[in-house]
Amino acid sequence: MELFIEFLKNTGYYLADIRYVFMICVGILFCFLATAKKYEPLLLLPIGFGIIIGNIPFFRGFGLGIYENNSVLHYLYFGVTSGLYPSLVFLGLGAMTDFSSMLARPKLMLLGAAAQMGIYFTLLSALALGFAPKEAASVAIIGGADGPTSIFLTAKLAPQLIGPIAIAAYSYMALIPIIQPPIMRLLTTRKERLIRMPDTERLISRTELLCFPIIGVILCCFLAPASIPLLGPFFFGNFMKESRVVDRLAKTASTSVIDTATIFLGFTVGASTQADVFLTVKSLGIFLLGSVAFSIATASGIIFAKIMNIFLKEKINPLLGAAGVSAVPGSAREVHLVGLKEDPGNYLLMHAMACNASGVIGSAICAGVLWSFMMR
Amino acid sequence: MLGLQAISAHNGWAMAITGTIIVMGGLSILALIISQLHKIIGFFTNKKQDPPHFVQPPEDIDVLNDPEAAARMYKPLTADLGDSFQLADLYRVFEKKNLPHPHLTISALRDAGHLLPLGNGLFSWKK
Repeated sequence: MELFIEFLKNTGYYLADIRYVFMICVGILFCFLATAKKYEPLLLLPIGFGIIIGNIPFFRGFGLGIYENNSVLHYLYFGVTSGLYPSLVFLGLGAMTDFSSMLARPKLMLLGAAAQMGIYFTLLSALALGFAPKEAASVAIIGGADGPTSIFLTAKLAPQLIGPIAIAAYSYMALIPIIQPPIMRLLTTRKERLIRMPDTERLISRTELLCFPIIGVILCCFLAPASIPLLGPFFFGNFMKESRVVDRLAKTASTSVIDTATIFLGFTVGASTQADVFLTVKSLGIFLLGSVAFSIATASGIIFAKIMNIFLKEKINPLLGAAGVSAVPGSAREVHLVGLKEDPGNYLLMHAMACNASGVIGSAICAGVLWSFMMR
Repeated sequence: MLGLQAISAHNGWAMAITGTIIVMGGLSILALIISQLHKIIGFFTNKKQDPPHFVQPPEDIDVLNDPEAAARMYKPLTADLGDSFQLADLYRVFEKKNLPHPHLTISALRDAGHLLPLGNGLFSWKK
């Protein structure tokens, strides 16, 4: 009987408290959003299930938890804390990205740069709210709307915040259809939303597509060497794709590699949200600042597009500025849909993808810049 | 320490301004280079530059709102693909022939039932 009682005391039912139950409910909510609502299912599903697994209470010292040495979860989590998974995700992302629309419309790249203003605004806000500089930089990168970049920088600067920052980053990416359209409508007039972008485009040669990843990696990584772990694999993946001589490798990078990395990244990030380390006032602050960062990033891109229109003869639809955040392809799709609502014949998708692609590069540069600032 | 005092103490203003300049500068230079890339490549390959190639919708057909007409027009262009093909191959043909909105056109053709799924990722035109 004593043995039975001891066993019962070691079960999750006995060890659980309200915090764990709350987090498990959050995990179930994520799984629900992923499966029923199809909100970013590739990300929310592994994260949601990871949250459930990570919040099953257990007897400490058995080597079970993600923060306990020698546990399986701890080994899997190494890919997060070392920055391995984000690099692999970027490799696959590069192998999947078609830069031709961006190369055909280089001026739209500026919108991808402008949307990164949300990162620096949030950096200042986080510092003002009392976050330590490294923590503030990690929170600020949420404004880039790029989950792997956020995780990478946080792993380097404030690993204790990976859980809340990753969850915030991915949640806001999933909530793009809810967050971005009101900001787009608020900051643009109907006349501006009706601006049609020219349907004609320059045909991009294969040589240009081949040269771009080499020029991009040299220019960006010389500028911000700390972004090598992200932009290096990104441009490498793209070069493999465009070279057309290593189709097998490019296909593996864009399917098996990125899928494997996404599974383990999502699952372990979810599992890292153990209630006792996740449910803190700081996490609440991170969520609030994350939403501010994301909104400011969207607004910055739109406002910058409007400023560009003052100087340009051929006007840009300012909605495209919202696609400057690097949530690929969610924000581009949202811009396209908002444009279609105003004018069913206005196809903004390819233009928005150009902004989106430059946003990915911009946010990775920002991560490198912030990392190098904090290393001083 | 909180507020403006904290920002100043941690060198926040300098970081924000410098970071903004670096990102804007970096992407502007990249944009400038890629906008001139075709000219640079043309110079090195020493070939006569073709006039800029523009994608024009074929005739007056609204390919997205009139999938029937689009299917009639595009079917002969894809004869080389055979009776069954993958959408990726169809996309490549559309792109090679500079047809407008290849993604959206394929999507419209699928929605309108002109492209029929055969299973295993293969499609065929409606007979």
